[in-house]
Amino acid sequence: MSIEIIGVSKTFNRFKALSNVNFKVETGELVSLLGPSGCGKTTLLRVIAGMEAADPGSGPILFDGHDVTCQEVGKRRIGFVFQSYALFKHMSVFENVAFGLRAKPWRQRPREAEIRAKVGELLQLVQLQNFAQRYPSQLSGGQRQRVALARALAVEPSVLLLDEPFGALDATVRRELRRWLRKLHSKIHVTTILVTHDQEEALEVSDRVAVMNEGRIEQFASPETIYDNPANPFVFKFLGSYNLFHGRKPNGSTAVAASPSSANGVTFVRPHDVEIRRENTDGSGIAAKISHIAFAGSSVNVELARIDDQAVVDAALSMHAYKDLGLKPDDKVFIRLRNTRSFDDDYVI
Amino acid sequence: MAGAPHQNPTMGGTGKPAPPTHPLVRRVTIAVTVLFLSVFIVVPVVNVFSQALSKGFDAYASVFYAASPPEGAKLSPAERRKLSSDRSQAEKTWSSIRLTMGIAAVVVPLNIVFGLAAAWSVTKFRFKGRSLLITLIDLPFSVSPVIAGLIFVLLLGRSGVFGPWASNLTWPDPFSLHWRGFAQEWWPFAFTQSFTGIIFTPLAIALASIFVTFPFVARSLIPLMDSQGSDEEVAALSLGASGWRTFRTVTLPNVKWALLYGVILCTARVFGEFGAVSVVSGHTDANDTMPLRIEKLWNEYNNQAAFTVASLLALLAVVTLVVQVLVERKTGKAAMTEVEGVDMP
Repeated sequence: MSIEIIGVSKTFNRFKALSNVNFKVETGELVSLLGPSGCGKTTLLRVIAGMEAADPGSGPILFDGHDVTCQEVGKRRIGFVFQSYALFKHMSVFENVAFGLRAKPWRQRPREAEIRAKVGELLQLVQLQNFAQRYPSQLSGGQRQRVALARALAVEPSVLLLDEPFGALDATVRRELRRWLRKLHSKIHVTTILVTHDQEEALEVSDRVAVMNEGRIEQFASPETIYDNPANPFVFKFLGSYNLFHGRKPNGSTAVAASPSSANGVTFVRPHDVEIRRENTDGSGIAAKISHIAFAGSSVNVELARIDDQAVVDAALSMHAYKDLGLKPDDKVFIRLRNTRSFDDDYVI
Repeated sequence: MAGAPHQNPTMGGTGKPAPPTHPLVRRVTIAVTVLFLSVFIVVPVVNVFSQALSKGFDAYASVFYAASPPEGAKLSPAERRKLSSDRSQAEKTWSSIRLTMGIAAVVVPLNIVFGLAAAWSVTKFRFKGRSLLITLIDLPFSVSPVIAGLIFVLLLGRSGVFGPWASNLTWPDPFSLHWRGFAQEWWPFAFTQSFTGIIFTPLAIALASIFVTFPFVARSLIPLMDSQGSDEEVAALSLGASGWRTFRTVTLPNVKWALLYGVILCTARVFGEFGAVSVVSGHTDANDTMPLRIEKLWNEYNNQAAFTVASLLALLAVVTLVVQVLVERKTGKAAMTEVEGVDMP
């Protein structure tokens, strides 16, 4: 089912959580809403689910072209997964998953045998077939999250809405579940919207990512586009570490290869796009002094200070490059910048 | 539970890490607590029972059942007077027990409904005046019960604000409901007795009791429901459950122990309430609840009988206490498994 949101706003006590959001998710897509906390991503998800009403007068929410703005949460055929899992504590895993089936009006309610078969199938899908009689308190966080997912899928929703589904889990389990979710999605192909504040998660899992800030969608595109072609400084800054260069240098020497047209513009470079050289062979390098070296597993983070204005530049080198160069603190080197992105000053963060 | 693999060793009463204190401090604080409890609770309760049984078990029983003389025995006029007075005393005591139970049977269910509604509205919704509402729920705790009784007298008494309406109100006695059959009308039940007016009738006692006890259920539910949030309810709704089903299968099971705890406290207070009930009862024998009956017996210098009825109340309190401890253990366990779960990998 496709989801379309046209001009939706939401205000809480004068605080504008969503301002005029337009957004369309195609059938079968897995879309992430990515942004810092308080940017309105969860509000947007809850508005789509029908748990929050959008401001009166603000635009319709269309499911497959049908207006569902005034439809109750139970009628929208959504599967919602909460960050807190919101499992029913006093029910076994089996009963949790069966809840949606048992709650159907008795005409549509499947027979007990059908419920058993369906729940068994879903538990198989989330790899918890041996845990049916356990209670939520006897499961680990990752298992609970999978139960929550199975419970949401039991009612055969046409949209799956996940609110920071892996937020409360530790890094390894997160990575595992992320991959599992991707696999699951390619198996069942239900339109899915995932809310997260973790860029790595959003980029890895989704077909498209909507980066949100202060109640607006800053950019909605594929992960590659978002990363390689960020629409504005906010998106660039949000998707990882960066170096920032302000405008042209007053002494006339250009700060970087592609500097912005106006004096107030900014240029961004990712640390891994900062190249360190011993020799300034073609004269385009910027002289800098190494002030600190930190190991980060597979790569090495080098902190440099520019000779001309003492501005700090971060560089990330592969272990190989680092060893080849034989860098030591206080070494004088030259840096070159690849893949710089410049933005003019009309954009205020 | 000790063998469970997911048991968190830092949880539970004895395993909790204690702050470093001097052993003397610990001994002194424990001694003070024990001494205080003995002086103010254990000694008075023991005294109640010893006074009640001071004239032997037969005297204890005769407060409830006046002993009948042997068949065909000749009674002197004095003995006969004594017997009939004993019988009427026992009948009054039974009437007070019946009334107390009846009031509790009316007040406690009403307070359950009210307490659930109040706790639900205050914890699941955010609205203007919410904190004011919470304060109002607590009001009966801070108002003297005598004042509470007086409020009803001043509202519903003969010269009260609603006096003219209230003193002419005729309402059937719910305990006089009986089967009449279909002969007279299609409705087979009828009341044989009715009351006129509100003040100085059991209705006023019920009203005063409701006022005094309504915070108990709400108060025991609010902290729990507040901490649980409404995610589970929203989840149930999003799965297509109706509001009633959500309440019945999700909300109620989550709060059942806290609810039972509130009901226990509420019941204990209804049984024991004196001040508010005393003001609105009119001091007629028919309107005596157990505490009022105790006072009357005491004023008639019938100490042993007074303590006997008091011992019955104390017994109820002990039963309540036992149930309360069981429930607390249950809720404690529930809270514990929840915390355990969070700590799990």
